[in-house]
Amino acid sequence: MRSRAVSHRAPARRSRSVQAPSRFRLADLASEAIAGLVQRPGRSALTMLGTVAGIGGFVAIVALSQTAAGQIGKDFNVQDATQVTVNDTGARGGSANPTMDFPMNADALADRIHGVLAAGVWWSVNNGNREVSALPPSAGGTKVGLPVTAASPGALVASGAQLAAGVLFNQFHEATAQNVAVLGKSAAAQLGISSLVNEPAVFIGGQPFTVVGILAGDPRLPQLNLGVTVPESTALRLWGPPPSYSPAQMLIHTRLGAAQVVAEQAAVALRPDNPKLLTATAPVNPAQLKKSVTASLNTVFLALAGVALIIGAIGIANTTLVAVLERSSEIGLRRALGARPRHIAIQFLAESTALGLFGGLVGACLGVLVAIGVTISEHWTALLDPRIVFAAPAAGAVIGLLAGLYPSLRASAIEPADALRR
Amino acid sequence: MTLASAEPPVIQLSAAGYTYPGPPPVQALKPTDLVIRRGEHVAIMGPSGSGKSTLLNLLGLLDRPTEGKLEIDGIDLGRASERDRAAVRARHIGFVFQSFHLLPHRSAIENVMLAQVYADMPRRHRYAEAMSALVGVGLAARAFALPTELSGGERQRVAIARALVNRPSLLLCDEPTGNLDTAATKELTDLLGSLHSQGATLVVITHNPVVAAQAQRQIRIRDGRLWEQDPGVPAGKELPAGQELPEDPWPTENLLVHEDPGVPYGDRSGGSHAVQGG
Repeated sequence: MRSRAVSHRAPARRSRSVQAPSRFRLADLASEAIAGLVQRPGRSALTMLGTVAGIGGFVAIVALSQTAAGQIGKDFNVQDATQVTVNDTGARGGSANPTMDFPMNADALADRIHGVLAAGVWWSVNNGNREVSALPPSAGGTKVGLPVTAASPGALVASGAQLAAGVLFNQFHEATAQNVAVLGKSAAAQLGISSLVNEPAVFIGGQPFTVVGILAGDPRLPQLNLGVTVPESTALRLWGPPPSYSPAQMLIHTRLGAAQVVAEQAAVALRPDNPKLLTATAPVNPAQLKKSVTASLNTVFLALAGVALIIGAIGIANTTLVAVLERSSEIGLRRALGARPRHIAIQFLAESTALGLFGGLVGACLGVLVAIGVTISEHWTALLDPRIVFAAPAAGAVIGLLAGLYPSLRASAIEPADALRR
Repeated sequence: MTLASAEPPVIQLSAAGYTYPGPPPVQALKPTDLVIRRGEHVAIMGPSGSGKSTLLNLLGLLDRPTEGKLEIDGIDLGRASERDRAAVRARHIGFVFQSFHLLPHRSAIENVMLAQVYADMPRRHRYAEAMSALVGVGLAARAFALPTELSGGERQRVAIARALVNRPSLLLCDEPTGNLDTAATKELTDLLGSLHSQGATLVVITHNPVVAAQAQRQIRIRDGRLWEQDPGVPAGKELPAGQELPEDPWPTENLLVHEDPGVPYGDRSGGSHAVQGG
């Protein structure tokens, strides 16, 4: 009989409408959809969970990856981005023998590389501390244990050493292996040297050194602040090549953006005869790192959030479908009260869309909170594109809309006569 | 009812019948002619499976007749679009169901106001109209109670207020007292009587002889065929002498079966061949 009824409809549709059709105003649609949700608060909340998790995950992950990427950008400050370290592999002498694979004119060789502002070799003269005193051993002055560092004049410049008093030792001291020393701020205080007016001396293992400068600070080689620094050639003369446990390093200060190229060229420039003895380390390209961090975060976690979203959509579809079946008598009643099938469909569609929208709203809030919590615990600066936050509820609404399509069609197809008999 | 001839009847069935497609096809309502005029109070009685629900669904525009013609207020609706039929349901027909069909999470007045949504009543008028409908059924004091807080009789009165709020031309009641106790049935019968006296057109499908007896017209339905019972004769009572088979005492001349006046009563058992689809 259904087919006969349908076949009769075609001519009727062409005929003039008998009267104004029944209506379902937007305001009524909104209030009915909201009523449908708030009248079953527990179920609505549970149904929203999937969307909340999915949208929240999306927002949190995007926020965290943006924050992390921004953080990397911040950490790669000018200081780090302009520093190249060249290490002695120690391959020539073996691990037991002290080696010095940097040529004596390493500073000058490195300076020739385009983009280098300053460069120099340095190493710790011994593993522990050496006994240093402000008076000759015969005078029996108080001995203080201090770290002693050998550094070329270029290394002091490249490290950004700042002076509190005096000067840094220079190429003359280096070339003639003078017994001169630069004291770190705390070392000077320990030795009771506060002024260079009387040309004070310190004694390292009994050897006298003239103090030419006192450091105020050293950003790249902070260990220099704690001890005594002597010229490289003087250290070689007195104590021999650097020990294998603390091989010599070269510190290169480059122009901004030149670090990568300098690192590629350093080994060959310093040891054209055997560049394999040296390895240069440049800072990771910040742009590249930012990209790779964001990419790896995005692929893994966005996939997870996507799965959560799909589960959320299935949850909404499932619950809406169950609600349709459960509320079939309500659907029958509404049809009897004059609702057209499309009014029924749009009501359930509005309910599922509202579920998605609220899920998206809650999810966006939770995602932002999670991101802020992680950011605070990591002492980062939170970064989040506000468009993401505003797009999240809209995305939830779209998911709800899509999830509600099939249940709504099912609802609109329910025959009122059958539904009311229950 | 003196004006009845001047205006179209509220309900006019012309050879309207309904056949379930099967297989096998079941002719639930044989082609029937039936006229119900404005202000009439009609009871339709019959055992389960007699075609009562089918008739109710046709009169309430919840189903379409598979044959013949159905007019409500003079509008041919048997083959009208769903748009037109929904509009007529919203404004011309009020439904009262055995199981009330109130939305459980909404107060009495909210349930009444639900009927105004689809009838396109302006929102600012809804509250006053719904309240006056509740006043009309004597439930103004319970307007904000949830259905679960109402007795069965009160629930059915809310349902009647909902059915009346759009001032329909026809009130269609399906077993309105089916879930009510005797006292509530009495109240509801009184309410229906007073609605009738105020000019409402009532079609009441019922098992209850008390409810049926109150109606002006009683129509019996059995095996998809309708009989008009003589006015004034209480339902369930024997007809005057001359009629046989007292357990089924309906005269053939009162048959409402379309174009089928001559079928002897006794042939009814011969099967549905007696009635050819109109």
